[in-house]
Amino acid sequence: MPDSTPVRVARELTARGYNADRAAVTLLADEPDPDAAVERVADAAPDDALTLSADDVRALLDDANADDAPAATPPAEPPDTTTDGGAPADVSATADASATPPADPTSTDASSGATSGRESPTEAGTPDETRGGESANAGGRTPTPPAVAEDVTGHSTGTGEYGDFVTVFRDRYERLSKKLRGRINHRPTDALDAMPGGSDAAIVGMVNDIRSTASGHWLVELEDTNGTFPALIMKDRDWADVVDELLLDEVIAIEGTLADDGGILFADSVHFPDVPRTHRPNTADRHVQAALVSDVHVGSQEFAGERWDAFADWLHTPEAEAVEYLLVGGDMVEGVGVYPDQDEELDIVDVYEQYRAFSERLKDVPGDMEIVMIPGNHDAVRLAEPQPGFDEELREIMGAHDARIVGNPATVTVEGVDVLMYHGVSLDEVIAEDGDESVSYDAPHNAMARLLKKRHVAPQYGGRMRVAPEEKDYLVIDDVPDVFHTGHVHKLGVGEYRNVKLVNSGSWQEQTAFQKSVNIDPDVGTAPIVDLDTLDITVRKF
Amino acid sequence: MRPEDDAYFEGLESRLDEAFAVAEEAKTRGEDPVPEVEIPVAKDMADRVENILGIEGVAERVRDLEGEMGREEAALALVEDFVEGTVGDYDTRAGKIEGAVRTAVALLTEGVVAAPIEGIDRVELLQNDDGTEFVNVYYAGPIRSAGGTAQALSVLVADYARSLLGIEEYGARADEVERYAEEVSLYDDETGLQYSPKDEETRFIAEHMPIMLDGEATGDEEVSGFRDLERVDTNSARGGMCLVLAEGIALKAPKIQRYTRQLDEVEWPWLQDLIDGTYYDGGDDAADADEDEGDDGEDEATPEEPDDAPDGPPRVDPDSKFLRDLIAGRPVFGHPSEAGGFRLRYGRARNHGFATAGVHPATMHVVDDFLATGTQIKTERPGKAGGVVPVDSIEGPTVKLANGDVRRIDDPEEALEVRNGVVEILDLGEYLVNYGEFVENNHPLAPAGWTVEWWEQALKADGADVQALRDSPYVDLADPDAEQALSWAADYDTPLHPQYTYCWHDLTLEDFLALADAVDGAAVQADTLRVPNTEGARDALERLLVEHSQSDATLTVADWRPLVRTMGFDDDLEREWAPDDLPEAAREWPNAMRAVEAVAPFAVRERAPTRIGNRMGRPEKSESRDLSPAVHTLFPIGDAGGSQRSFREAADYAPDMRAEQGLVDVQLGERACPDCGEHTYKPRCESCGAWTDPHYECEDCGIVAEPDESGRVECPRCERELDNVERQTVDVRDAYREALQAVGERESAYDILKGVKGLTSTEKVPEPIEKGVLRAKHGVTTFKDGTVRYDMTDLPVTSVRPAELDVTVEDFRELGYTADVNGDPLQHDDQLVELRVQDIVLPDGAAEHMLKTADFVDELLEDYYGLEPFYDVAERQDLVGELVFGMAPHTSAAVVGRVVGFTSAAVGYAHPYFHAAKRRNCDGDEDCVMLLMDGLLNFSKSYLPDKRGGQMDAPLVMSSRIDPTEIDDEAHNMDVVERYPLEFYEATREMADPEDVDITIAEESLGTDEEYTGFAHTHDTTDIALGPDLSAYKTLGSMMEKMDAQLELARKLRAVDETDVAERVIEGHFLPDLIGNLRAFSRQETRCLDCGEKYRRMPLSGDCRECGGRVNLTVHEGSVNKYMDTAIQVAEEYDCREYTKQRLEVLEASLESVFEDDHNKQSGIADFM
Repeated sequence: MPDSTPVRVARELTARGYNADRAAVTLLADEPDPDAAVERVADAAPDDALTLSADDVRALLDDANADDAPAATPPAEPPDTTTDGGAPADVSATADASATPPADPTSTDASSGATSGRESPTEAGTPDETRGGESANAGGRTPTPPAVAEDVTGHSTGTGEYGDFVTVFRDRYERLSKKLRGRINHRPTDALDAMPGGSDAAIVGMVNDIRSTASGHWLVELEDTNGTFPALIMKDRDWADVVDELLLDEVIAIEGTLADDGGILFADSVHFPDVPRTHRPNTADRHVQAALVSDVHVGSQEFAGERWDAFADWLHTPEAEAVEYLLVGGDMVEGVGVYPDQDEELDIVDVYEQYRAFSERLKDVPGDMEIVMIPGNHDAVRLAEPQPGFDEELREIMGAHDARIVGNPATVTVEGVDVLMYHGVSLDEVIAEDGDESVSYDAPHNAMARLLKKRHVAPQYGGRMRVAPEEKDYLVIDDVPDVFHTGHVHKLGVGEYRNVKLVNSGSWQEQTAFQKSVNIDPDVGTAPIVDLDTLDITVRKF
Repeated sequence: MRPEDDAYFEGLESRLDEAFAVAEEAKTRGEDPVPEVEIPVAKDMADRVENILGIEGVAERVRDLEGEMGREEAALALVEDFVEGTVGDYDTRAGKIEGAVRTAVALLTEGVVAAPIEGIDRVELLQNDDGTEFVNVYYAGPIRSAGGTAQALSVLVADYARSLLGIEEYGARADEVERYAEEVSLYDDETGLQYSPKDEETRFIAEHMPIMLDGEATGDEEVSGFRDLERVDTNSARGGMCLVLAEGIALKAPKIQRYTRQLDEVEWPWLQDLIDGTYYDGGDDAADADEDEGDDGEDEATPEEPDDAPDGPPRVDPDSKFLRDLIAGRPVFGHPSEAGGFRLRYGRARNHGFATAGVHPATMHVVDDFLATGTQIKTERPGKAGGVVPVDSIEGPTVKLANGDVRRIDDPEEALEVRNGVVEILDLGEYLVNYGEFVENNHPLAPAGWTVEWWEQALKADGADVQALRDSPYVDLADPDAEQALSWAADYDTPLHPQYTYCWHDLTLEDFLALADAVDGAAVQADTLRVPNTEGARDALERLLVEHSQSDATLTVADWRPLVRTMGFDDDLEREWAPDDLPEAAREWPNAMRAVEAVAPFAVRERAPTRIGNRMGRPEKSESRDLSPAVHTLFPIGDAGGSQRSFREAADYAPDMRAEQGLVDVQLGERACPDCGEHTYKPRCESCGAWTDPHYECEDCGIVAEPDESGRVECPRCERELDNVERQTVDVRDAYREALQAVGERESAYDILKGVKGLTSTEKVPEPIEKGVLRAKHGVTTFKDGTVRYDMTDLPVTSVRPAELDVTVEDFRELGYTADVNGDPLQHDDQLVELRVQDIVLPDGAAEHMLKTADFVDELLEDYYGLEPFYDVAERQDLVGELVFGMAPHTSAAVVGRVVGFTSAAVGYAHPYFHAAKRRNCDGDEDCVMLLMDGLLNFSKSYLPDKRGGQMDAPLVMSSRIDPTEIDDEAHNMDVVERYPLEFYEATREMADPEDVDITIAEESLGTDEEYTGFAHTHDTTDIALGPDLSAYKTLGSMMEKMDAQLELARKLRAVDETDVAERVIEGHFLPDLIGNLRAFSRQETRCLDCGEKYRRMPLSGDCRECGGRVNLTVHEGSVNKYMDTAIQVAEEYDCREYTKQRLEVLEASLESVFEDDHNKQSGIADFM
């Protein structure tokens, strides 16, 4: 690692109670002795300043440097470098040509941070307060706070009664069946019994059972609010392999012909709620980017700290100037009690310490970025989905950056682009159940496409998925997102399904002993970057 | 065999013959499925093998071969017979191989276990890819009970038969090889294997195996790769196959190799590579081999490792495996090798050996009655588990009372008196383990403590006339007074008597020096030592286990002279030494022992160098075996009997108001009368009284078919497999009334008569209802095979006193006992008598149950079969001398036993050979007894369930006499001597291999005239039923009460770390329970409250789709979080680590989030954190 990193500079500054613009940090990092430079700047900065701009830094550096001529003073002994220095000396030799002249009078309004009004200056001394708010500087990021929809956080009203479960499944059926009814002529299951044999019919139903018959055909039982009805998919139909992608408890429609004696529907076609082919995604109206990450697993012995540092460093570079949003798709920490004897493989055994450590990592991210986080299955929230966002205590611990903390799943709108964030536990099940070989851990985006097609992030009940019943089914994908972001499987996957961008964002945890035993080779240190104006995706590897 | 042994067996067999004659006569009269007794008598192993397999001619051939060769060779020789067709009547090649394989397994398991019939489903011939045929052996789960060697040999036998029959070898396809690897490792994860082969190893075996190993699916967990293979019918793990491959072939390769070398026809050259581990590809070799060694070193942290030998005393390494999977409510008695835990003492008590642990009855009471006779403990060494037996000739516990007194308690009564005042259990007392246990477990001898047995022999070796001392009325060798002990030490130079030897090795040098200083400041008053009461002195005396009392100012030691002398003081409390005088060796020694040796005027030995940690396993058992729900008769009444399966209800049943009452539709076998052609479901024709045969008729073709030799029935035209089962309407009302009439009973004779919902047997023959009526009347119920059973924990006993068995010396003389263990004539109730091998002692509960059974059997004989009563018992003494069957689960052979007395302990005491004949040891195993006549009259194979394991735990054959060479050889390792030699004790200090010590074990008398006698013991016990009759685990009510008691005891025991116990209870019990229930909640099934219909997911209609009834959850909030508060409280109270507390916090938050409405919350989430 390089001697001086922007991250270290940012950390040093926050430790002293200051935030800084990216440009300012770069400037400091480029000093021959950044530690000393930080020291000088911090000492020179006004007490009420919160965020230091590049101009501030330049001014302060100049002031401070005036005192001691050689810039290479060891950082350990700056006893006399006080704020009220004399005339500006020449700026550090490494300052590039574009550096503005030191005596620029505009740099005097150093306390631009105070204008944000979002934080009281009294808190400035606490290292937790990294966030600088919107910088007035032209060179800084100017993200708009994202809007959030379909988030259960704070609205978990289920009390675990039987009726709650029925409500959830009915809600799923009603919302998804609406998307299918326009396309077929739905007959309620109890009406089908009364219809004469041989007539054409169609059902919109929740898949209740999938069985193969003795002769190798498939019997799919569909359920609506009146009852169930079986449909037979003949194995010799050229579309019969659709059965391979069916999951229990998803909502589909089947069109076909009733058997002569009624009682069963011979399927001619199967329909999914799906994404309309005509779907046109929204885009941002300026050049701005979002970084999509997940599965940080701080606290694990395998946490890839150096890669994360490299990522955070990069965010401070001009190249990352347009990256104004950071979306984190769950598993901030490794957690406790996720699997037996986990404590033996933890680097940080205390779960609160894990979140504190994560928070420290978050501080390395430039203060002028907007951050959105959902929980995952390793996080200290309930496992049953939908998962509400972190509770008050954890929010406080992760207070840096004032990140937006929402539930799993949630739809987050950034610069007009709808991003569906879901941690991705159901991907395991889709990959295990789906008969198509292309739906695999090596191509998690194909599994994501399946979920979009079903318009539900986790359809199958009763297997690996855990459901907490709420007043509605938060897992239904009611509106088509522009970007679908998941994690969980620790494999990078980037794709597109009917103009929806699919991103599974890899992890920040090196291969674990368990992954090794089952031969999973995770993608570590990957950060897909989405251009919100074009929805183009570039994957950065750290 | 001695004449008296012969007479004994003759006696057993004549009573057996008597019973047999009555039963055979009875069977010709009633309506049993078969008109004869269905449990054949096997006189020896060959008989059992033949009977269990039902292949004629096997016994004779086995007897021939056994004379010439070992059992394994005989199994291989039999293969030739099967192939040639001289044994067994098989038409097909697959059949011949199957017969040979089954016979081999039966032979190697002595015809006792069910593996040969239940563990091998079939053998078939399949096609290789090149069109040639290969052999496929289809194993099932119960092959487990055969053990690794028999499993491995079954494969070899199959291959030998294959080569004799000229069938090609199996060529495994690449995906099949991979499947084996994946499957074996999956099975290991799910179920666990004793030996887990590496994937490379499994692949290597699969590639070279000349026959295909296959089997039925035993679990739900499926493989994820290599699914849907053409020649493997399941995607689940095939348990039987995995066992044979891993624990058989892989683990026993060297053993198989011994036999392949003897056979020209069989070539398994690859075994050598398997044994050497050279099955890896090229370059990996070295690396993998290194890895292997590394692993081994870690796994077997061998206690004999002489790491610290030069600078410390000999010690075994602590081993904490026994603490794994600690269960709530079952206490830990000692952490691994922790001071204050049980002290190892060598010896065998008369109710001891064969996986048992001798504990003082006072200890049982002091640990709040958690230990009772028969309670299973998981132990640190030498084995894994043992059954607790009471032995009062060893030392009891040392406790500290609320007033500060420290006392050793050697009397169970005293233990009960002081128990409530015990604040700390400083020492659990001695723990008796016999030499044979170390042999059986191949465990190096652990250093022996200084005990009277050893001291006596040391004294003798030093020149004393010990026999004279033993005979002297003025001397008590076990408990001499202090003067006597000191003078012996002085006169003979023998180390100080153990009674006055304290646990000096539990003190550090500093502790010792501090105690010496305290003695410097002490005074002698009224011939007691008064030491100033300081924490250090008090603590040291407690750890030394010196009995004393205390006041605020002083600690008073009564018998003080040996203590101060040992510490280098004279009787005036003057000492000759200063700390600086101590030699270098004493200073560097890890404890105070060397310092004591340096200052004491005589030699001092280590009192308790080996402490053995243990915890409670299962509680003891003594209860009647009832099916759930209990059943009086195996007669089906469908749902008509309601949830109770009541005949009364079924007799009144009517589907609607107009229907005739008592008509019930049930599945029954159709039978036809061979004489008059009448069709019925009954075993006996109602018209002419002939016994009926099952009637097989093809539904489609209408053709009547007959079963072939293997019992399979095929339609000769359409080749469909047929059964004779059909839905029949039975007039239960009528049948019930008739049955009551037949035995002259009224319904008021009992509360309820319970039938079964349906029959599970192949031919679905119902049992006569009359039997149920009489069972109900006498308050007994039936097991799946028609017998009445009583379960109990097995314990061994080799010598008994008539008095302790609640019988008289007259009773014993009638049983044929004439002399006591010393050869003196038997005259008094309290003389000690050596027990005969098939004699058993019934617990009170069993005696009562057998009495009821005897009454039932008598009335059955009289009222149903029209014969004379057989037992005519009035009180339990009448049962003495009667025969019973002993029968263990997973076996198919019963052993005849004779009742000789009764005990209040809740266990079945019998000769170790009796237990070994049933394939049981006494480490907490349970099995059952049945009354002889009940078994003969009421058992029928026709009742056995037609499913895997259905033939297990059923008396398919009985052994009338025990041949000691044909029992589980674990029993042969029991030592049978009166005392262990001096060399033995010295060898323990070297931690020698037990085989290197010369102590007679039972094995040595095998095959001689003395094989049934001479089971001497080293330790007596006053009674075989001392201490509490029942463990507190069974008398305490709820799980919470048990757990509170467990934690409370953990606090009191010096050898137990209560935080660790609390931690383990939470981690092992509460957390999995909470997590499991929460998981179950969020993916649960639902069930209709009205009709019971189950739904995988909640129906969208909300109501039951079947009946419109109310559907509800199967897992509710209450069952999910019932332990939450307790778990949090325990974590707090016992100061568990943060990690555990946080897991509980996270869980509690999850529960709240799932079960509470955010909008209604009274307070913030943060409140509980």
